[in-house]
Amino acid sequence: MGELAVCQKGECLRTLLGSCLGVALYDRRLKLGGLVHVVLPQSPGPSELPGKYADTAIPELLRQMRLLARGEPLRTVAKLAGGANMFNSSGSLATIGEQNIKAVERQLEEWKIPVLARHLGGEQGRRMLLDSATGLVTVEIAGLEPTVL
Amino acid sequence: MLDPRQLTQLHRLFRTGAEQATLALSRWLDRPARITVERVEQLPLNQATDVLGDSESPIAACVMQLQGELQGQLILAFDDASGLGLTDLLLGHPLGTAESWGEIERSAAQETANIVGCAYLNALSRLAAGQGKELLPDPPHFVRDYPQALLQFALMNQATHGDVVFLTETRFHIDGSPVNWNLLLIPDTPSVERLRDWLPREAGPV
Repeated sequence: MGELAVCQKGECLRTLLGSCLGVALYDRRLKLGGLVHVVLPQSPGPSELPGKYADTAIPELLRQMRLLARGEPLRTVAKLAGGANMFNSSGSLATIGEQNIKAVERQLEEWKIPVLARHLGGEQGRRMLLDSATGLVTVEIAGLEPTVL
Repeated sequence: MLDPRQLTQLHRLFRTGAEQATLALSRWLDRPARITVERVEQLPLNQATDVLGDSESPIAACVMQLQGELQGQLILAFDDASGLGLTDLLLGHPLGTAESWGEIERSAAQETANIVGCAYLNALSRLAAGQGKELLPDPPHFVRDYPQALLQFALMNQATHGDVVFLTETRFHIDGSPVNWNLLLIPDTPSVERLRDWLPREAGPV
């Protein structure tokens, strides 16, 4: 939870998501990508886990991708998955997924990063995999066929 | 944050709950069962989400939302083989008869969660009765999902308050053999604080 990582040269990254939001960023020209597991919409202040919060996760992921790009300009696109309301819950937890989605989309808009695909909501967890060779994101839900974004 | 002494005291408290749950489960299955508290711990978020394993395969779980003095989730989880085996035990069928999660299998799992969970919570409630505390579980909700995704959602409340989370884990033996069932109590953050308040009066000396 709250972790982020970058990859290139055909490496893959994956994460498991409940109400958390997986954000995959990808530069097709450099074949370079990053994946972050956002837990909450807003950071309360400085955190040792910048990937945990939408407002710190996107800047930190971009910073790490820039380091990997070694000075080449980045042109990234985004794909999103997750944000489920599991356990049929109510109250603030029921809307945390939705809040994460809004916060991440706001961040991506600020950084002018287009969102190419979304696989969001529902009541089940997801497994999300980013392939840096192609930029394709595979999303799996238990008992269903995988979806490629 | 709870200190090591408080965690030890809580372990004793939850062990009493497990003893009552053991009696209830043995009666329900009509065979010897044993439930033991494996851990009462505070873990970094990333470790906590692996408590049910990092399996690529989905698991089954019955989730009870807790209301009252202790809020959060009580989760009875099992891999498919162990969970379906429960139905066979209850119906007196040879192990391996139940092959998928149909209505009967889900119902058996939910009823077992209800019996074990209520016995566990009732014992905790009695321990806390002197302070007028009430523990009220909602009916179990059946889910089948990836273990880490389940735990992420269950831990979400505590994750909103910090990067370290508190949980208790309980393991099962049936007929003297371990089975891959797991009962997790995951209180929300205010409830963790309230648990701390229970200790001076309700737990014995370390």
